[in-house]
Amino acid sequence: MNIIVSVTLFLLGGMNVKKAKKSTFFIVLVLILLFAASSVFGLDYQFGDNATSLINGVDDIRLGIDIQGGVDVTFGPAEDIDATKDQLNAATATIKTRLVTKGINDSEVYSDLKSSRIIVRFPWQAGETDFDPETAVKELGETCELTFRKGSDYDTDENGDPIPTGDIVITGSDVSLAEAKSLPNDNGEYEIMVKLTLNDSGKSAFSAATSELKGTSTPISIWMDNIMISAPSVNDAITNGVAFISGSFTSLEDAQDLADKINSGALPLKIETKSFKTISPTMGEGSLNAILLAGAIALAAIAVYMIFLYKLPGFVAVIALIGQIAGSIAAVSGWFGFMDSSTLTIPGIAGIILAVGMGVDANIITGERIKEELRSGKSLDSGIKNAYQKAFSAILDGNITNVIVAIVLMGAFGVPTSLFSRMLNSTIFRMFGATAEGVVYSFGFTLLAGVVFNFIMGVFAARLMVTSLSKFKCFKNRKLFGGDVK
Amino acid sequence: MSKNTASNNTASAAKIYDFCSKKTMILIITAAIIVVTLLGCIIRGININIEFKGGTIISYQYTGDIDDNEVKSAAESVISDTVNVRTGESLNSDAKELTISFTSKSGLTVEKQTELSAALQEKFPDNALSLYDSNDVNPTTGTEFFMKCIVAVIFAAILIILYIAVRFRKIGGWTAGLCSVLALFNDLVVAFAATVIFGFEFSSNTVAVILTILGYSINNTIVIYDRIRENKKLMPKASITELVNAGCSQSLTRSIRTSITTIGAMLSITIVVLISGYDSLLGFSVPLMFGLISGVYSSIFVAPVTWAAWEKKRSAGKKSGKKK
Repeated sequence: MNIIVSVTLFLLGGMNVKKAKKSTFFIVLVLILLFAASSVFGLDYQFGDNATSLINGVDDIRLGIDIQGGVDVTFGPAEDIDATKDQLNAATATIKTRLVTKGINDSEVYSDLKSSRIIVRFPWQAGETDFDPETAVKELGETCELTFRKGSDYDTDENGDPIPTGDIVITGSDVSLAEAKSLPNDNGEYEIMVKLTLNDSGKSAFSAATSELKGTSTPISIWMDNIMISAPSVNDAITNGVAFISGSFTSLEDAQDLADKINSGALPLKIETKSFKTISPTMGEGSLNAILLAGAIALAAIAVYMIFLYKLPGFVAVIALIGQIAGSIAAVSGWFGFMDSSTLTIPGIAGIILAVGMGVDANIITGERIKEELRSGKSLDSGIKNAYQKAFSAILDGNITNVIVAIVLMGAFGVPTSLFSRMLNSTIFRMFGATAEGVVYSFGFTLLAGVVFNFIMGVFAARLMVTSLSKFKCFKNRKLFGGDVK
Repeated sequence: MSKNTASNNTASAAKIYDFCSKKTMILIITAAIIVVTLLGCIIRGININIEFKGGTIISYQYTGDIDDNEVKSAAESVISDTVNVRTGESLNSDAKELTISFTSKSGLTVEKQTELSAALQEKFPDNALSLYDSNDVNPTTGTEFFMKCIVAVIFAAILIILYIAVRFRKIGGWTAGLCSVLALFNDLVVAFAATVIFGFEFSSNTVAVILTILGYSINNTIVIYDRIRENKKLMPKASITELVNAGCSQSLTRSIRTSITTIGAMLSITIVVLISGYDSLLGFSVPLMFGLISGVYSSIFVAPVTWAAWEKKRSAGKKSGKKK
């Protein structure tokens, strides 16, 4: 795929406006159409059962949760606990693991060290009726600390919740693997239980504790946070590093649930939700379809308008616009291997609209200039040349200001580790936390990509095409370029 | 970039309008915009979405009939705070929607929210309540996001003034930069007024509107400045008023034509959204449309004319200073 990019860049770079020939128009046209087709449809490579996406198409665009529906949660430490950097990073890793355990693979999880927050976003697929986002988020934020304790004593806090007080024997971090199993118990009946395989430190601690308590009336109690799962008494010393939790499961799913929680590990601190947002897929999908339809109508109207006003340069402008929109799609879908793709949100679509509007403007500015030059009596060749040269400074300055806006936004609202964020968050936005507000970031991203394509398509490619077309005898008519008849 | 050596004065072809004499008109329009905006704020009030002010909105879809007041008391017993309950038709024609909203100082933890859902589902088993949308924002998070947006816009505006100051130094860059931001401010106020008067909430849609106008408005002004800069080279002896009038007249066609395409695109979004019923996007397309319309006016009148008046005063000040 990078080969295609370099070939395209080479071909475009090799084209000199002064040397624009008749064939140049067709080369540029074919390149733009190929680019547009590949960015829309993508290219998959099928080898056996594995389909590898060589070029990402429209289907590969990751839609933001405001479009496809989803969940956006911000967690923070409960009750003004000061969380350390290590605790936050560990908590972020645990939440990621829990998401994967739940089968949610396309999530975004960021930790923001300055404001001690963890931001989690994941989509809620359309038609997923059995998925309950509230429960899912609640489970994500649970501390999930497994403890094995000597005795079953506990205190109660002011809410009446139990707080275990027995000495800790082992915790979830001493477990190397938890599995749900249906195994025969001492009476030979099959019972659902969770089998814990302990690591070396857990093995020796558990062995010492079970030897000590063997035959006494003191049980070993098993706790998940402040809920006691069971408190079996110890009959024999267990030295093989395998422990079982049994007695409270009604189904294998129950046991699997607990095993998953233990495997994902505990959060190093108690967290609670600071903000929580769910958007249903039906609403998002409807908005997207509405905006796409409106975009298609607007684009068709603009195409007719441009051709009507500017004739041949107008026609070229429409080709350049197709190229520019393809460029925006390509930037979002990750068509370019060297550039990260972005999630497309509704403000992201606004960014594309702004960039396309700038592209139309660039073509109108040049179209008007060509008319002016021709009306002042210039020949077709020098008129076109002058028009593009004079129009360029306005297009350049207008677009650079948009680059400034895009970079400021990407810096202010990007992922804390990204380049622009590191530049701006340590300086101008120091007093704020590094909030990764994907919605605004997305606007900056599509705007920046759109402006870059504005130069490639709206300025460079359009000029090549117009200059090349003016070499054709049949197009050597000043009227076709908006000039007066002479 | 441009050479302009052999170029004769292209301005002669087109008619030159006297934009600089319209100072009274500009003052009246500016005053009118301020009055309309203030009246709008007083009469309609400013709605701020909970994204910024913090609070909770939870929507459920349900079937059958449900009593608002019973839902209210059930919800209040869980949350122990006053809540608002609203029922309405959902976009899915077969389902109805129930919205529970309240502002709390600390936001609603997900535990409470789960509790609320469970309590409602238990109390109204026949209505098949299912969660549709929920939005819960801690007030400090909301305020911080809002403040950060404002700082980002101001910072971007400062960088733009700097950029214009450098690129247009031949025609007095600083004043030009400040006047372009004045025009931008004009457009933002119009978009703000449209948001208030049509009763839209301030939400992330509004942020997108502000950012889009930031881009378009400055671009519009720059295209005209560019023409003034070019005219300065072509007609070095012309007065500031002449340069501005010529530049604005030459850019007039382009300004109108470009704006037709952008305003048309927003109109198309507005109409489609109105027909399809996904009116959450109206808070984006309608204020933006008004901001763009204002942009046509402000880029031709506000920025260049104010700039011309300012430059004239500055040069008059310099001259009188020399005489002494």
